Amino acid sequence: MAVALVRTVILYLIIIVGIRLMGKRQVGELEPSELVLDLIIADLAAVPMQDYGIPLLSGIGPILVLLCLTMVLSVLTMKSLRFRALLCGRPSIIVRDGQVDQREMRRNRFTLDELHEELRCQGVADLDTVKYAILETNGQLSVLLKAAEQPVTAGQIGLKPPETGLPTVLISDGRLLRRNLQRRGYNDTWLQKELKKRHLSREDEVFLLTVDEQGTVRCTPREENP
Amino acid sequence: MRRLWGAVGGMALLLALALWNAAELEDFTQTLSDTLREAEQRVEAGDWAEAQDLTKEAKTTWDQRDLWLHVTLRHTDTDAVQTGFDQVLALIDCQDQAEYASASAQLLQRLSLMAAGEQLTLANLF
Repeated sequence: MAVALVRTVILYLIIIVGIRLMGKRQVGELEPSELVLDLIIADLAAVPMQDYGIPLLSGIGPILVLLCLTMVLSVLTMKSLRFRALLCGRPSIIVRDGQVDQREMRRNRFTLDELHEELRCQGVADLDTVKYAILETNGQLSVLLKAAEQPVTAGQIGLKPPETGLPTVLISDGRLLRRNLQRRGYNDTWLQKELKKRHLSREDEVFLLTVDEQGTVRCTPREENP
Repeated sequence: MRRLWGAVGGMALLLALALWNAAELEDFTQTLSDTLREAEQRVEAGDWAEAQDLTKEAKTTWDQRDLWLHVTLRHTDTDAVQTGFDQVLALIDCQDQAEYASASAQLLQRLSLMAAGEQLTLANLF
């Protein structure tokens, strides 16, 4: 058992280094340590699950060690910026003022095809419109457009549209969410009034009913079953 | 910081338990091996009845720790030892000295390898 625990630590650290060396594009949406944890836990859990000859403890022990290690690493990354950079890497600026940084691209093994694909996914066709394109530590590309290319905001043209805030769901698929109703300061009488306005009488006739911070109610009645 | 020390403490506890388990297993298999070697000496002296009692005593000791052994060791290893005990006892019944010596040596080897496999050594790690 002790051998399994120490082997787990060694393999975990080796795989983290391996994933870091593979570059950000291989990581996907997870940090390297999270990806490694997911990879190993899946395998550790599957082996004793399939092979009855292996004690469950030989899967549980290493999984507990991995969870402890992840906890240690996550605390250390919060405490130390240097450690965080070592474990997760640093964001790389791939495009600066419309110019591609070829050295950074090579360093991250990021191809031009991948760059164009990511830009197209974010609705950018012309590289000249890009102020910065940053390859984040989780493998995602953040694109910041030049000021002249950014869409005009209401504030820039002097408009002050009302803040609608976060809509709260009050009825979901015919079920009243009483906690949300009370949190927004409404009661059953108010709800009945709102339903009546829409020619509805019961909650189960409603598919979705939301109210925003301005008090605007949006209601979708339930369709009859065919 | 409490989370950090909790995680470090958890790992230390798991490692301590695993090391204790390895030490306990080594002691346990050593006791069994001593009893089996004593039985071998009795067979050489022609005292089959005493050899049988000693081997049965070793098997009973093994059976008493069956749950612990099954929870911590590969079942193929524990099953092989169990089969080894049954084989040695059957050969004592037959009083076949050559076959008995071979089966007993094999059982002793299995016990020794089982304990060695759990020790935290460089050879086992890599």
